[in-house]
This record gives sequence, C-alpha cells and structure tokens, in this order.
Amino acid sequence: MSKGSKTITEKLAELGELTAWFESDEFTLEAALDKFAEAEKLAKEIDDNLAELKNKITVLKTDFSK
Amino acid sequence: MANELPLLSVSQFTALINQTLEYAYPAVEVEGEVASFKVNQGKFVFFDLKDAESSVGCFMMVFNLRQPIEDGMKVIVRARPKLTPWGKFSLTVEQIRPSGEGSLKKSYELLKAKLENEGLFALERKRSLPRMPEHIAVISSTQAAGYGDFMKIIDARWGGMKVDVAHVQVQGEAASDQMIRALEYVNQQQELPEVIVMIRGGGSADDLSAFNDELLVRTVAASRVPVLTGIGHEVDVSLVDLAADVRASTPSNAAELLVPDRSDIRRYVQQSLRQILAATDTGIDQVRRDNSLLLQRAFERVEDAHELYVRELASRQSLLAAYNPRRALERGYAIVRGEAKVGAVIGIETSDTLMQAEVTDVKRK
Repeated sequence: MSKGSKTITEKLAELGELTAWFESDEFTLEAALDKFAEAEKLAKEIDDNLAELKNKITVLKTDFSK
Repeated sequence: MANELPLLSVSQFTALINQTLEYAYPAVEVEGEVASFKVNQGKFVFFDLKDAESSVGCFMMVFNLRQPIEDGMKVIVRARPKLTPWGKFSLTVEQIRPSGEGSLKKSYELLKAKLENEGLFALERKRSLPRMPEHIAVISSTQAAGYGDFMKIIDARWGGMKVDVAHVQVQGEAASDQMIRALEYVNQQQELPEVIVMIRGGGSADDLSAFNDELLVRTVAASRVPVLTGIGHEVDVSLVDLAADVRASTPSNAAELLVPDRSDIRRYVQQSLRQILAATDTGIDQVRRDNSLLLQRAFERVEDAHELYVRELASRQSLLAAYNPRRALERGYAIVRGEAKVGAVIGIETSDTLMQAEVTDVKRK
C-alpha cells in the first residue's frame, strides 16, 4: 500500500460504517445504490490488499551479548 | 645448605597466592548448598557454600543477586577464588543461580511473592495489543525452533508489518542480560514498535530459568511498549509471563494473538456485503408494501365515492318518480287543459281517457 492511501484498518472501519448506515434509520433507497457501489469497491480493495501483504523482517545488527 | 625458598612477608605471600589463583582459576563454577545466608547493610551478601564434606565462604554484592536465595537451596556460583588479607579463603561471586528443580521452584516462588507484593503483576497494569500492528519487535534466538514457528505463522496469517528482530540467547547465564539489553534498546528507539514479542520454545525448568531473572522481569514491567510473551509450553508460566501485558501459551499462540488471519478478514468483508444486500432487499420490500397500501387506499376511496354517487342517483330518481304527473293520474286525478272561462272548450285527461268539455260556469275559490 502506498503512503497517503488508506490502510486496511481504515478501509475496514469505513466498510463497518457503511454497513451500519444500511441498518440505520437513515437508510433510503435513493442513497443505497451509491453506497452499495462504494461498499463493493472497498471490499475489492481490501481483498487485493490482503493478497499483496508481506512482512518486512530485519534482524538488528546490534550485538546484545556485549 | 643454602635456603632456596624466597622469604616473603605475609602480605607478599597473600598477594602471591592471589596472583596464582587469578592465573590458574580466573573463574570457577561451584555447585553446593547455601548456608548462613545474610545481607549486611543492604549491600553485602555473605553465605557458605557446602556439600557433605566441605564448605567455602562466599561473598557478593547484592546487585548481582538476580534471584532470591535462602539457606538450604542448591545453587551454582560463578566466582573467583581469593585469599583475603586476614587469611580467609573465599569465593567472590559474580553470578549465582538456583540449581535443580527444587531450588529453581523455591527461588521462583520467593521472587513471585516479592514482585506480586510490589504490584508488578497487577491486572490494571496490563495494556491491550493493537488489532493489526504495523511495526513489532521480536526478542528471541533466531536459531530457536520457537522463533521459526512464530515467524512462519505470522507470515501465513498476516503481512504488511515491519518486524525488527533482536537476536539474543534465550537460555544460559548470559540470556537474561542480553534480553535486558535488547528490551532497553527497543524502548529507546525514536520510532517505537507497537508490540515487543518475547519468544522461546519449550525446555526444562533450568532452560527457562532466565525468564525468572528479577532484573529482566522488572525491565519487562517497565517497558514503554506493550510486551507479548510466548515462552515454553502451555504449563510453563515464567515471571516474565506474569509481568508481560499479554501472555500466550506458546510461540505459535503468540502469533495467533498478535495478528488477525487474512481469511477471517475476508469472511468479515463478505458478511458485511451480505448484510448490506439483505438490508437493501428489506428496504425494497418495505417500499413495495408501502406503495401497495397507498394504491389500495386510493382504490377504496374511489369505490367509496362511486357508491356515494350511486346512492345519490337512486335517491334523486326516487324523488323524480314521486313528482311524475302519471302517478297523480293513476291515483284518480285528471289533468285539465284550456281556459277557465264560460263557453271555452277544455281538454280533460285521466289515466286512461281523453275528453273534451265546454265550460258552463266559473267560480273563484
């Protein structure tokens, strides 16, 4: 993921907010179409990000025996 | 015969013995049972180390005493033999550790009670771990099986983390100090990790004893960064485990507690989409129902209005029928047409007859 783009945590939070909106009293059919498209896009991005995730492992050079 | 031996003063003799000892035995490890243990002025530790046949006096500074010791415990000391200026042979102890399961257990219980009393293990001190850490530090031996298991599992479950590994010994005399240095190093970094993970696989009580070192336990308790431990097996609970923020039962369990599983996240995302679809379906159904109801009401109103008109029409028809002149004729009346003057010819209509007549007389009522 590039700098400046959202992290997976942020995207999951956003998806959670969208899901909550659909189950709230603010739900309207008129707004639902756009919000559903947004949720689908987020879901795809999260899936892509999950597939790309790799850990960066660095063994420290410091000698802790001294 | 000439005297071949050098003539020494007492001090010179003592110095010579100590030089010889330093050269021949710069360090020794001796195992024995502790007796007459005492601490003077809070700084100086004295005790005897004995076995069935011999005993030797020991001296050390209290800051080197990393685990509680008491009379009767079997210990191993790392020391330098020395002859004191007043002729006493003793061991100057640099390191001391309990030896054998019984002594290890005793020392563990003593230190646990002491630190628990100080509040080091209190639940209120425990910090929770971030759900999806982005930067962690691992303190372990990179050659240990436990480290390998841990790294394999975090790679399988998750990614995108920066993992700094501090390679240290995880058993033996030097282990505690190395782990302390690593903890202090990590805690002094400008960019602190979100979690420090301390890992080692299973082993004997002696193998794991480094994790019961008082100084190490205190360093863990004082860490600015939350500490997760995965030490030994499920049944092994070291004092470092008790001081840590989160204790995992094994290195593998530590990986599971630290990071989520990608497949769990994927399931959550799919579940969210299903919930959204279900909510949309419910919304559409509700609108359909609302529209049906409105249509039905409108239809009912039209029906009601129609019924009203039909009744009204029937009523007016009845009224019209009542005013129909034919009805008067049927009741026996007649319609007279013409002028009401003498000599005029008038027409007379009854219900079944038409007549003509001449007016013979007219009187006003």
